[in-house]
Amino acid sequence: MADLTTDLGRIKLKNPVMTASGTFGYGQEYDEFFPISELGAVVVKGIAPWQSHGNPTPRVAEVTSGMLNAIGLQGPGIDKFLKDDHYMPFLRKSGATVIVNIWGKKIEDYCEVAARLEAESEGIEALEINVSCPNVKEGGIAFGTDPVMMGKVVSAVRAVTKLPLITKLSPNVTKIADFAKAAEDAGSDMISLINTIPAMAIDIETFRPKIANITGGFSGPAIKPIAVRMVYEASKAVKIPVIGMGGIMTGEDAIEFFLAGAKAIAVGTAIFADPMAPIKVRDGINAWLDKKGFASLNEIIGAVKI
Amino acid sequence: MDFDCEILKNECLKSGYKRVIFNAPEIAKAARGGQFVHVQIETMKDRILRRPFSISNTDPATGELTVVYKVVGHGTEELARLRPGDHCRILGPLGNAYTAPDQDTFPILAAGGYGTAALYLVAKNAPRKGILLLGARTADDLILVEEFEKIGFEVRIATNDGSAGQKGFVTELLDGALAGQDPEKCTVYGCGPTPMLLALGKLTLEKKINAELSLDQHMCCGVGACFACVVKVKDETSPDGWRYSRSCKEGPVYNATEVYYG
Repeated sequence: MADLTTDLGRIKLKNPVMTASGTFGYGQEYDEFFPISELGAVVVKGIAPWQSHGNPTPRVAEVTSGMLNAIGLQGPGIDKFLKDDHYMPFLRKSGATVIVNIWGKKIEDYCEVAARLEAESEGIEALEINVSCPNVKEGGIAFGTDPVMMGKVVSAVRAVTKLPLITKLSPNVTKIADFAKAAEDAGSDMISLINTIPAMAIDIETFRPKIANITGGFSGPAIKPIAVRMVYEASKAVKIPVIGMGGIMTGEDAIEFFLAGAKAIAVGTAIFADPMAPIKVRDGINAWLDKKGFASLNEIIGAVKI
Repeated sequence: MDFDCEILKNECLKSGYKRVIFNAPEIAKAARGGQFVHVQIETMKDRILRRPFSISNTDPATGELTVVYKVVGHGTEELARLRPGDHCRILGPLGNAYTAPDQDTFPILAAGGYGTAALYLVAKNAPRKGILLLGARTADDLILVEEFEKIGFEVRIATNDGSAGQKGFVTELLDGALAGQDPEKCTVYGCGPTPMLLALGKLTLEKKINAELSLDQHMCCGVGACFACVVKVKDETSPDGWRYSRSCKEGPVYNATEVYYG
């Protein structure tokens, strides 16, 4: 059994496997499959100041080796998230390491959510700032594709909370290193990447886009090489820990991200195919390290030979 | 909840419709009419998502689980190729179920196309046998008619092109089914395309007949996490009067009074 603990600066995880925001609901949905406290961390679906419907349906379309989604950040809003049993009260009881993903349309919205979580931070390990959702008209990717704007969001959130901050980066940029650096300079404690890639699929019978939002975010194993490349470039650009994600289906997939420089990883779309995927990825990482004779995960982080 | 299930039979019903029987004892024991299973077809390497199917029939004694499907895309094409002895991972039973009819209930099943498949278990377990109203585009899309007749249901048919039964829509058969019945004791169980179900829901509300409708949308996780398969339900607390409800978790069965028709 290799040592799977990982040190993300201000937070330490018992293992490096997280869930990608939006793919694991609010934790309770998967509690009947395995104790969610076994995960390195649970990253919940994005929370805004308000309750939101999200986008019209259809919201997902399958494509070769992946899927497109345009859920549009349907969610309960901060009030319900903190109060209703299903959300934060459940997560506190579950014993899970909880990271709350936050989003808004304006900088003040991000700050409002962050301040509310700061005030009721028991059981919350960190916040993940979503500046990269491709499926909402305002906020989201609009902040994440301009390093100056992104820096402003991160600095503003930094000013209202002491909680460790993760900035989730969009792959929809020319030079990911600039964005990684901008997040670090603005006071982010970690960065996570990649969010989904803007994409489109068309039904050739009806001539209509396969999802109502016209475009959606591409995820799944098809995007993994893009994610590994971006994690590699971002890791070289910053000193803060990098959390890698994008198409991880197996332990071996995760190993690539560690070699590229990630100190933790998140499993997302794989969960839709197999609810046990995060646990299988964790066990797969361990089995690979054992097989290769590594005593700890730390030995392989950033170990890609160039 | 996620079981490795062997295929016992995978046979043609008619014109593109097939019936697969799995050995799935845990699911067969637990399943109720209206629930669904989420099937991983592992031979389909470049398509990673599961496929949701209504549970058509179960035999708790033998552990058999029956799914009726139409070959329409990558998933069902691949499923159609599987043979007895092949295996699938099956998550289920998932979702809520139709309220089981009691001995006073006169069940009126209203199906569009292979919506019949999802209604069979309700019909089989109904103490009082009633009527199946079956609507389809054409005679080729009428499936399981004999099966419903065998368990004592009268089958009345409407097709859009008039190739079988009455020419028109399934909703046009409702008045006839209600004739001579105590409306208080009738429940309509609906399954089919969304426009048909919304029309049926509105009609039953007008007539003050209790109705349960199986609504869904493109599904992804099947367990309530991804918010892909949402349908509109009434919500007084929402400024818009509705909210999106996860059909895989809070549904797929909704009472007609819960559904938002705007």
